[in-house]
Amino acid sequence: MKKGHNKSLIIPFLASVLIISTTLPALAHKVIIFAWVEGDTVFTESKFSGGRRAINAQVLVLDREGKQLLEGRTNDKGEFSFKVPKITDLRVVLTAGTGHKGQWTIPESEIREAGCVLGEKRAVESSQPITVGLSKEEIKDLIEDSLDRKLRPIVRMMTESQSKGPSVNEIVGGIGYILGLMGVAIYFKNKGKKR
Amino acid sequence: MHISEGVLSAPVLVTGAALAAAGISVGLKKMDYEKIPQVAVLSSAFFVASLIHVPIGPSNAHLIINGINGVLLGWLCFPSILVALALQAILFQFGGITVLGVNTVNMALPALICYYLFSRLVNRERGPISLAAAFACGFLAVFLSGILVALCLLFTEKAFISVAKLIVLAHLPVMIIEGIITLFCMVFLKRVKPELLGGIHEKGS
Repeated sequence: MKKGHNKSLIIPFLASVLIISTTLPALAHKVIIFAWVEGDTVFTESKFSGGRRAINAQVLVLDREGKQLLEGRTNDKGEFSFKVPKITDLRVVLTAGTGHKGQWTIPESEIREAGCVLGEKRAVESSQPITVGLSKEEIKDLIEDSLDRKLRPIVRMMTESQSKGPSVNEIVGGIGYILGLMGVAIYFKNKGKKR
Repeated sequence: MHISEGVLSAPVLVTGAALAAAGISVGLKKMDYEKIPQVAVLSSAFFVASLIHVPIGPSNAHLIINGINGVLLGWLCFPSILVALALQAILFQFGGITVLGVNTVNMALPALICYYLFSRLVNRERGPISLAAAFACGFLAVFLSGILVALCLLFTEKAFISVAKLIVLAHLPVMIIEGIITLFCMVFLKRVKPELLGGIHEKGS
């Protein structure tokens, strides 16, 4: 390289530094829906990877066979909740427009464990004054209610961690794969040359 | 601009895969020994570029740099982009394996068009014409990709104009930035390594 080129190198160099520094909060192009059950209600949260919420996106709720049970739209926090329509594996599908789609499946067991009883009211309202002789079921319900409340922040944390962008490992790994493929390609081309 | 798994109908997927296969086979045939490292470098660049989020405007848009891929590689941009998209699908869960063909065509076909439109201009001309061609190359490649994505979605969303508008508007900042990046890239390569800009068909002629 001649000396006269040095000046012209500065701008591309600066540009590349700028680009690399903006990559750090790796934000990108994937949409995630996360759903969990509390009692007889299913809560969902939708996000693009990187943490931006998917607002006013269509949410479909399907049963095990793929039949649509209900449909809704996320609010301005990317959330959408609904009452469990049927005790079965629920598939929650999010369509965020322009070709983005994400889904989450809640297995039947999880809905049952959450204490969902369809068609009837929960046996005990937790605000009801507790007097005497609680039955086993009533105690169970109370415990589940308070557990739901206490676990909510943890569930939220899990949602947050779900929507993290790709890690450095994956990025470097990907570039490694490409270099490996390059090696393979050169190897085979080289073999052909010798023949 | 990756289309997710399960959005498109089977005929679109099959057509995309067939077109991609055709492009890749032409690309592989044209790939000679000296070109392999260049393809790998540009594939890596494409792979990483999708992580660079452009925080302007309402959308979730990221860089694509298919223009640079196209103008430097010609037909070879098909294998280059396929590899990068496959790794993005596996490692980042962008797009998906079944839509790989469609996504490859959506990114690589505009790159190829830009190659035929602009590579001679970028290479042969001097001064402002070359600069303008480089900018247009980066800009148009993203624009055409947006149109192609809207075309693919036409069969599921049934509203071409509004979807196309949405995608193109969302990617407007990306187009401008890519134009500028392509411009700098070309200026740089022209000074430092002009033989890279030769393209493939130049070499044969």
